[in-house]
Amino acid sequence: MKEYTMTPSGYVAYLEAVSRRIRENKDYVTQLDAATGDGDHWANLNSGFEKVLQKKDSMKQMTFQQLFRSCGMDLMSGVGGSSGVLYGSAYLAAAKAAAQMETLDVAGLSQVLSAELEAIMARGNAKPGFKTMIDPLYQGTEAMKAALAEGKTDAEVLEALRNGAREGMEATAGMEAVRGRACYQADKGVGHLDPGAVTMYYQLDLLAACMKEGGEADA
Amino acid sequence: MKKIMNQPDQVVSEMLEGLEKINPQVRYIPGFEVIARRNREDKVGIVSGGGSGHEPAHAGYVGTGMLDAAVCGNVFASPSPDRILEGIQAADAGKGVLLIVKNYSGDIMNFEMAMELAKEEGTKLEMVVVKDDVAVPDSTFSTGRRGIAGTVFVHKIAGARAQEGASLEEVAAAARGAAEAVRSMGVALTSCTLPAVGTPGFALADDEMEVGMGIHGEPGVEKTPVKTAQEIAQILVGRILEDYDYRGKETAVLINGLGATPWMELAILTREVDRLLAQEGVVPYRYLTGNFMTSLDMAGASLSLLELNEERKRLLDAPCDTLALKIGGRV
Repeated sequence: MKEYTMTPSGYVAYLEAVSRRIRENKDYVTQLDAATGDGDHWANLNSGFEKVLQKKDSMKQMTFQQLFRSCGMDLMSGVGGSSGVLYGSAYLAAAKAAAQMETLDVAGLSQVLSAELEAIMARGNAKPGFKTMIDPLYQGTEAMKAALAEGKTDAEVLEALRNGAREGMEATAGMEAVRGRACYQADKGVGHLDPGAVTMYYQLDLLAACMKEGGEADA
Repeated sequence: MKKIMNQPDQVVSEMLEGLEKINPQVRYIPGFEVIARRNREDKVGIVSGGGSGHEPAHAGYVGTGMLDAAVCGNVFASPSPDRILEGIQAADAGKGVLLIVKNYSGDIMNFEMAMELAKEEGTKLEMVVVKDDVAVPDSTFSTGRRGIAGTVFVHKIAGARAQEGASLEEVAAAARGAAEAVRSMGVALTSCTLPAVGTPGFALADDEMEVGMGIHGEPGVEKTPVKTAQEIAQILVGRILEDYDYRGKETAVLINGLGATPWMELAILTREVDRLLAQEGVVPYRYLTGNFMTSLDMAGASLSLLELNEERKRLLDAPCDTLALKIGGRV
């Protein structure tokens, strides 16, 4: 039974994969956002991850705690707006959760994601079901925790994260927005995927893939 | 859209570069969009901020007796935590910093985050949230009431208390007391146009006004045919008195233009408000009439009332010297 772990330099490779996936999906995400939001989500997130990766060489030498903190500060200023402060809060909480971690194993990843989920819900004063980035993160994290509790293999736990995240993302299409721009619309965005949930799903999907491949997934 | 500007995405930084020329008391910190006092005094620092487009709020209130730093976001968008942190550091003289925040979800998130970061660095901080708008219980931009022009009173009271040399706890208590004793309500006669958008944010017919509209053009209570100054004053005073009983109390009165309202109309509204307050038994102590917290080029006005006590009277009358508000002593 293979156990998966990730080093800080593997995490940097993961961040590069995220940045690539965001770049490749410019038209799709922008089109989703045009239906329900300001239309600036893709550009904000893209510039945030570009800012994070300006430090990629020094980040490879950092501990996970330092690396997550660096990501948090750069996403906060680089993404800006509500998404920026939510991603910033998530990564700063991740830095605290990872204080003792030299490498990231599957159980550690579960702790980090739970800390991120709590931080985003607290900062945004929001819950699962509000049609936001929280939905894929919540369902992915819950599915992962359940698989861990059942003693599943690492590969199965990561698959649970991936599937849960996808289901959470897909479920946003049927939800009414409670927060953010879409909630001012007459239909509350029903019928449209939430673009913030889609980009969160990209990150969780790649996280599972990169854990399996030691940080070098290229989806 | 007709505006005196260059590139729409440069309006905030270019405005602040201009502001630094108008007011030699302040310096502009580029990249962070912070306006701070050049001369850092040995006292509690006062920081306010929020989206731009509400000028002279908030950068116009930086100066002796009011704010030590103002943090400016993009038009109608909260500043990010790193900008707010820069403002906190510019205002911190080692005696702690009070943050004055209007109750909008984006501002609350970003200021709370900045407060946590600054606390990690050892700065003592307090935050006061202003929610003075009685128009709607919740809005598209806030959970709970919105913060609007009454915030200017909170800046003044907190700034004067800090100038007296009070501790952070004392300054925060004075600010909180003022925030609890202030109520506001506004009417819009026209929409406003964001520089980056170019068209009005919503439609109001030539003969319509919207009661209780927010300072970002977010919906209020109702659209009605335009009314006379007297009727508008009745709506504003009436709604505020339903919510907070100022009768028999000495009260500071702020009549605020939303950006495109001629001073003549603000003075007429002041006259009508004064007549109504007299009928209701409210005792006006001081009027502030002008453009204090605007919504770009929106026409319309808001009314704010602040209940006074001996401390608040002293703090309101204390001298202040800022671009947007200068008080030399008792009227």
